[in-house]
Amino acid sequence: MKEIRILYLYPDMLELYGDYGNLQVLKYRMEKRDIQVIIDRYSIGDPKPDFLSYDLIFAGGGADNEQSILAKDLLQYEEEIKEAVRQKVFFLLICGAYQLFGKYYKGVEGNIIPGLAIFDYYTEASTDRTKRCIGNIVIEVNIGEKQTKVIGFENHGGQTHGITTPFGKVLFGNGNQFKDTQEGFFLPHVIATYLHGPLLAKNPEIADYVISTCLTRKYEEKMDLLKLDDELEEKCRKQLLVRFIPVEKQ
Amino acid sequence: MRDTLIILLMKIANFILKILGKQGGNVLGKIAKKLSPNILSTFNINCPVIAVTATNGKTMTNNAIASMLRQAGKHVICNTEGNNMETGILSMFLKTCSLTGKLKADYICLEVDESYVPIVFSKIHLDTLIVLDFFRDQLDRNGEVESLILKLEEFLKTYQGNLILNQDDPNVVRLGYANPQNSKVYYFHAEAYCHATKEITEAGEGKFCPLCKTRLMYDYYQYSHIGKFHCPNCEYGKQESYVTASNIDLEGKEFIANGIPFTMQSESIYVVYNFLAVISVANLYHIDIEDVQKALSTFELNKGRLEKLTIQGVPTIINLAKNPTGSNVSLRLLREDPEPKELLFVLNDKIADGFDVSWIWDINFNELGQVQRIITSGTRAYDMAIRIKTSGYPINIIEAELDLNKAVHKLYQTNVKKYIIANYTALEPTRKEILTLEKELGK
Ligand SMILES: [Zn+2]
Repeated sequence: MKEIRILYLYPDMLELYGDYGNLQVLKYRMEKRDIQVIIDRYSIGDPKPDFLSYDLIFAGGGADNEQSILAKDLLQYEEEIKEAVRQKVFFLLICGAYQLFGKYYKGVEGNIIPGLAIFDYYTEASTDRTKRCIGNIVIEVNIGEKQTKVIGFENHGGQTHGITTPFGKVLFGNGNQFKDTQEGFFLPHVIATYLHGPLLAKNPEIADYVISTCLTRKYEEKMDLLKLDDELEEKCRKQLLVRFIPVEKQ
Repeated sequence: MRDTLIILLMKIANFILKILGKQGGNVLGKIAKKLSPNILSTFNINCPVIAVTATNGKTMTNNAIASMLRQAGKHVICNTEGNNMETGILSMFLKTCSLTGKLKADYICLEVDESYVPIVFSKIHLDTLIVLDFFRDQLDRNGEVESLILKLEEFLKTYQGNLILNQDDPNVVRLGYANPQNSKVYYFHAEAYCHATKEITEAGEGKFCPLCKTRLMYDYYQYSHIGKFHCPNCEYGKQESYVTASNIDLEGKEFIANGIPFTMQSESIYVVYNFLAVISVANLYHIDIEDVQKALSTFELNKGRLEKLTIQGVPTIINLAKNPTGSNVSLRLLREDPEPKELLFVLNDKIADGFDVSWIWDINFNELGQVQRIITSGTRAYDMAIRIKTSGYPINIIEAELDLNKAVHKLYQTNVKKYIIANYTALEPTRKEILTLEKELGK
């Protein structure tokens, strides 16, 4: 039986927007295909995890005021995490976690929270505390050989700059900055995005991309995933795309 | 303009609205506040003001306190749900006061939105504040829980009145430390009920000791993060209880508080906690215990709040759920019910609901027992169906139907017991649909 090992970072702190649902979706879709899923959790105070022993590392979004405590803890593993990225362990990073993997986060008062600086982008809080990018969002992504629309919900004050390889093109909503054309950050083994929802719930193609990328790396062969009954997901996407995007743009 | 004149004008306006057969809503309060921002402080109040605040349970507890006091023969002025911010309270005062701005009552009972407590009570003298719980709400999902608590802490630093707190919510107990000079802090607590668990089963807040940041230990969880906790490192969580519930028998709808038996109309642990707050108030104001027993035993929840109906002869429980904890309260009842049953979950994402529906992933859908069929409806019916499917229920028992009328008709195709959960804007339309169905078939 094939097995995928997932490391879930800071489950008790980065858990504001139901992002854990991403792991529930991955687990569901892997178990339907007889792939065993092991989810280990790491949070402040736990022994140091062996980052390289995992196939997927996941972290979600949290409250702004907890970001600095967390950043401090995360920075002690800078080298290990860099090595895991180099060795193409899959990273799925949502919202706050997305920001932490950049160079820094600059708060409203100008305070700098250093990030892991694994990627070149950086984030600055919007100067007006009451202004946030909040709302439904649809982006178009090229993933694997396919092009697909990804539906989610964004809620962030931070404006992320310096992205050269975005996750997608914004069709509806804001993106990395207010009224941006780009959303998130992407490498073949990294998805970093502001999309909650959770991201994978309404986007089974993305979920399957994550799964097959992890499997291909681990078992060194390309594998076709068994097709699942995604009728509910398809109907959901259809309903929401009609709602969010004018017909002529679809 | 002089405040007394404004009050008089508003009374006249209210009189005219009444003749026209209009309610007026919060309009009077809004106009009065615009004319004089501090007008709330000019009312003549000569009785204790008792206020309830919380994420969940404000309305129920406030109404139960009012009905308990009325049972004891007291004259009570009380606000209603939705009028729990400054202008809502102001409107209610304007409608009930005399022409000179006097509020004649033995008690004034107010439910107050968490963020409005400091504002309202900088203008009105508060005798007793009750804080029930802090949960994550769907509208404020950016660390708002923490900032709300900080706001209340700030207000309580100089507060001298009675403070009644839920001892089993670590975020609420924090507030008891805000003013060390105030000795009038009273805690209510409940012993474990039969479905309490060793591990947390529903998303909760407040995992760390607010005094020393150590991870809190729990003897048991009743629901969400509500339960008996203590800090392994300091004295946090070792307060003395003012009112303690024991022998909680939800099937028998009874419990004992400080040695006195109480009965109720509901089977929910959540209602027991709200009633403990009521009993604490009764003790503080020396209300005859028989009046309290009588009031609680007959207390009916508002429409759509754990409401029991019979539709086409089929027992039905319908409950509002604006957040994961509200949903979990309903699912707990469903889980604890050994009979076969079906579930309808109606989820909307209109302005009043909040556009973000990702909170549904914080609901605990595990082990729903004898649930035979699940129907979802509302503008986010498919999101809900996907959520439930991912918890491992067979796809063929889940049906998503955007059209509420059709969903309700499908639901009542069988005569298995129904549990219905609806969020804010979904509740009334759902209730209406099932009541219409009952009438149609009654003919
Ligand atoms: Zn402590």
